[in-house]
Amino acid sequence: MLVATDIHRHFEGMRAVDGVSLEVRPGKITGLIGPNGAGKSTFLAVLAGTLPATSGTIVFDGEDITRLPAYMRARRRLVRTFQLPSEFARLTVLENLLVAAPKHRGDSLFGALMGKRYWIDDERRLVGEARALLKQFGMSAKESDYAGTMSGGQKRLIEIMRALMLHPRLLLLDEPMSGVHPKIVEEIQHYLEDLRAEGLTILMVEHELHMVDRLCDTVVVMAQGKVIGSGTMSSLRRQPEIVDAYLVG
Amino acid sequence: MNTYYATTLVVYAGVDIIACLALNLQFGVSGIVNFSFIVFQSVGAYTAAVLSMPPDTANGGYQIYVGGFQLPFPIPWIGGALAGGLLAIPVGLVVLRKLRSDYQAISLLVLSVIVNSVITNARPFLNGAAGIAQVPGPFSDQVDPLTQSYQLLYVGLTVPCVLLVWLVASRIVNSPFGRSLRAMREHELAASALGKNPVQLKMTIFIVGGVIGGLSGAILVGYIAVWAPSEWLYPETIILFAAVIVGGRGNNLGAILGALLVPVGFFEATRLIPPTIGGWVPPPNLIPAMEWVAIGLLIIGFLWFRPEGVRPEARRVFEGGPDLE
Repeated sequence: MLVATDIHRHFEGMRAVDGVSLEVRPGKITGLIGPNGAGKSTFLAVLAGTLPATSGTIVFDGEDITRLPAYMRARRRLVRTFQLPSEFARLTVLENLLVAAPKHRGDSLFGALMGKRYWIDDERRLVGEARALLKQFGMSAKESDYAGTMSGGQKRLIEIMRALMLHPRLLLLDEPMSGVHPKIVEEIQHYLEDLRAEGLTILMVEHELHMVDRLCDTVVVMAQGKVIGSGTMSSLRRQPEIVDAYLVG
Repeated sequence: MNTYYATTLVVYAGVDIIACLALNLQFGVSGIVNFSFIVFQSVGAYTAAVLSMPPDTANGGYQIYVGGFQLPFPIPWIGGALAGGLLAIPVGLVVLRKLRSDYQAISLLVLSVIVNSVITNARPFLNGAAGIAQVPGPFSDQVDPLTQSYQLLYVGLTVPCVLLVWLVASRIVNSPFGRSLRAMREHELAASALGKNPVQLKMTIFIVGGVIGGLSGAILVGYIAVWAPSEWLYPETIILFAAVIVGGRGNNLGAILGALLVPVGFFEATRLIPPTIGGWVPPPNLIPAMEWVAIGLLIIGFLWFRPEGVRPEARRVFEGGPDLE
């Protein structure tokens, strides 16, 4: 589904990502782990197009997307979430989801000037879709609250729901459990298991190793901008250099 | 209150409302800190002026300017609006594509200063610092501009423009397109990661704001009949920002309220200050200087104590949702 080959991302001589190659297979959850500063989030940003690659190629569903900006990758349904909360704070929770909806007749200057009657059918359909997601994630009661007033965990859920509104073919999750209350971590874990069961392909950066163990089919380990190993968690635990580099403790 | 004063107030209010609605679309809704807004109003004014005036040789050559096409209404107003939009294209392409929002604001402020300096010093272009005078208003060849009837006619031309701009602004703000603009304002990177093209969004609303700003200048110049660089120095933009901040960023009604409170109400109120206070005659520039101090304090006060303004941006509650607490 996604093949990244020899990806480099340098910041004024600092090699944050240094020749990473990786393949994400459809219908699987791939984990990306490694110590802080390993380049995981930078690599994810390069895949999503929020940072350009210094060199290397990214092929998504047979198309070379290396030079495409983030918004064009998202329109191809390659969608990311962020390590830090990135909610639209002064939009309501429901509006946060509706922003992500693609192909809305009212989402252009022309559509807006045509008036509500021109786009209201799309709006009703998408509000229904967004409410179904809110119900699935147990946040129906919060739909009219400003997203900026939500807790850290709820903001994570908003990000995941927002990404799902795009019907992603590949979902890139950047530390979805980071800074989240353990109860909501459990909830997110269940939701991700449900999404996997529905066949969604996910590439996930995560520090919670028991979560990675439970959710991910394949795990890639990065350190100092390079891939130092890949496989299942149990196979990785048998590799001393990986245990030394990251898995100790 | 005589009719002339009342109609003048209505036309000024109309122009300020149109300008504040445009600035609200750019700054309040989309987060573009357009510190050069007054330039767009001015380009609309100059364009309307040279479209409606006779050639500069026709009046004895006491002022020089390009154009002088003597075109009938509404062409000068439409031309003024288009000029504002056209100017927004190169400015937007340079400023909005690559720069961070704070650098955008600085660049636009600098642009305002540069354009004013160029127009002031390049006299053959638009008569330099002296500006253009004797700009004919709409239908001024058919109705005497010094009559009460003409004043009412001008109000009759201004009010539909205000309503049209309000309709356009309302449709944008309350649409899914407006929602995308607000999302971009809140978190541009996240919006782009959801398929929104931030450059396209910013360029679109910048051009729309330029068109509306240009229209406001065209209306104003037809009424006051003069336009000079001293009238559109960069601080004039600050007054409009004060209006939008006081009224309520992101809220069209707030922008209208701000226009009525700050550029119209506030400056009209200063006329009531007596020329002498208990026998003391203040220095001639004291009151204008104090107006600027007061505008500054007004902005700081609102940003400190009520940043959302008098009428905050409305929360969008959808039919069938849970009741708000």
